[in-house]
Amino acid sequence: MTQDSASSGNLSVQRSALSVERSATVAAAAPVLAARSLAKTYLTGTQRLQVLRDVSLTVLAGESVSIRGESGSGKSTLINLLAGLDAPDAGTLEWGGGPAAAGRRADFLGIVFQSFYLIPEMDALANVLMAARIRGRIGAAERSRARELLAKVGLGERTTHLPAQLSGGERQRVALARALMNGPQLVLADEPTGNLDEHTGDAVIELLLGLCRDTRTALVLVTHNAAHAAKCDRPLTLHEGVLG
Amino acid sequence: MPWPIYLALKQLFPSGRRFPFFTLISILGVALGVALLVISISVMGGFGHEIRRMIVDTQGEVQVKGRGYLADAAPLHAAIARVPGVVATTAYAEGVALIEHDHKPAYPALQGIDLEHVDAVIPLRRFVRLGSLDRLDDDSVILSSQLAHSLGARLGSRVELYSPLLLEKLKNDEVMLPRELEVVGIFEVGHQQLDSSVVLVTLRTMQDLYGLGRGVHGINVKIAEDADPDRVARLINSALPPEANAEARSWIDANQDFLFVLQLEKNMIFFLLTFIIIVAAFSVASSLLIAVVRKTREIGLLGALGGRPSQVAACFCFQGFFIGIAGTVAGLALGFTFLHFRNDLIRVFTQLTGSEEVLARFYQFSRLPAYTAPSDIATIVICSIVISTLAGLLPAWRAARLKPVEALRSE
Repeated sequence: MTQDSASSGNLSVQRSALSVERSATVAAAAPVLAARSLAKTYLTGTQRLQVLRDVSLTVLAGESVSIRGESGSGKSTLINLLAGLDAPDAGTLEWGGGPAAAGRRADFLGIVFQSFYLIPEMDALANVLMAARIRGRIGAAERSRARELLAKVGLGERTTHLPAQLSGGERQRVALARALMNGPQLVLADEPTGNLDEHTGDAVIELLLGLCRDTRTALVLVTHNAAHAAKCDRPLTLHEGVLG
Repeated sequence: MPWPIYLALKQLFPSGRRFPFFTLISILGVALGVALLVISISVMGGFGHEIRRMIVDTQGEVQVKGRGYLADAAPLHAAIARVPGVVATTAYAEGVALIEHDHKPAYPALQGIDLEHVDAVIPLRRFVRLGSLDRLDDDSVILSSQLAHSLGARLGSRVELYSPLLLEKLKNDEVMLPRELEVVGIFEVGHQQLDSSVVLVTLRTMQDLYGLGRGVHGINVKIAEDADPDRVARLINSALPPEANAEARSWIDANQDFLFVLQLEKNMIFFLLTFIIIVAAFSVASSLLIAVVRKTREIGLLGALGGRPSQVAACFCFQGFFIGIAGTVAGLALGFTFLHFRNDLIRVFTQLTGSEEVLARFYQFSRLPAYTAPSDIATIVICSIVISTLAGLLPAWRAARLKPVEALRSE
């Protein structure tokens, strides 16, 4: 059994135990993400391509939302807009009731990408700590938290390993730990299993859902995988730029 | 530590790798430029320093010269001695003479020295290699080393001196008898021109040869360590009586054209060799630009994690800065190591190329001099680090312009 699947087994038990409690909590929580009437159009040569039309999404604290859609349906564009990495042509976006400003991103958001994006010159611990460094808070407490997170994702013994010395699943688990390093209120995951095999992908999704649930962190998961989407509290579909 | 500095260090010196190739080559480029600058500027400084030492050691810091000759130098000595900053004075007479030994003639410069006072002003004893200054009297000479060699004269040899006064006597159909003197010493200053054409005699011998009576040609002045030669020369000039018909000049003033050329050469060498650092900086800039392209998605990630464009830019500027610091330190070490072994290295090189005589003949010194002024080192260090840091600016600007969403999307 791989480390990925071992972690997945433990976390699925925790998930079942907490499912009833979660439903009650989510209902009472304030929205951490409120997107209203987002629209995005790209200009390709002389043609205008409307990728998103009137997309509205509210995510509550501790809630997990999945977004499925075909390739080119605008999933990644939506995630980029929700993360404040790109600006919408129309609509408004709020994080925790406040403006979605770039200066708040390190405090408020954790992002997980399909391609991991670990810094190759740094070991696993340093990669996780990079989120805290950019936030401007690095000390003994942060180092301890980074080690704790790496232990939670099953990499407690591999903190000094470089990304090149880790498997794809292990790299994505380091990326999960990095996304959670600053204790964000919202994690945005853009096809986090896209570069992994099915088995490892399942383990990573279980881990992601379990960690978010444990820390009461809201999650927006973009995925192609119907089974992964179904594990979230609220599965949504994006079709031709419309979220439903 | 701010994260741009941390990341810059990590990218230059990654975990688990001792020295990445890019870092090594970049540092080496800057180091070579700095080492060449240190060596060249120190050798040029050495020439200047040696020339200063030679002038001061053979003439004193200030020289009072008569327009013609000074018939009575005693009151001048007293007037000069009262000037603040003056430590000691000694009179001298100088001229050219024909010297002959074993049918070999030469036309050296004769220096008549006042044996009573010369030690207080000019450290001649330091340069006497054979014999002794104490044995010099009115019937003896001390020859410079190469002159002695070319005449075939040794300690105890007798040389004949013909002065211009003897030629005057010849015109008047008087009998022309040369002055026969014994060689009691051989000196070597380390400067080719002085070591091949100077003869030391007593002041009285020189006065006899030139018919000066009690007169002298000038007075050499030794000044206090911290005194400014130009200022002391000005004070002496205002202290000298107008009827003395003499003028005091500092060694700096007397050699200002030569010193100007020396400084100009040093500045030109500095200017030209700085281009080596600039070329190295272009190589650093090129490598960092490639890194920006190669790490586009990482740069996007930094933005996605909350890094500001100015911080991403600072990361690349700091890489140039650290390369500048490491290259400068390595260059200083390389330069000073070369300077330490310069004479051994040059000896090997000249032996291999058969050009042992070239150094002495063309550069006047038997050993390659070197003198490194702290201000020169400060200039080299500042230039090197600033240029290297500037090399990171263009890559930094490119990195700062990348939008995270586009950078993350790049292939």
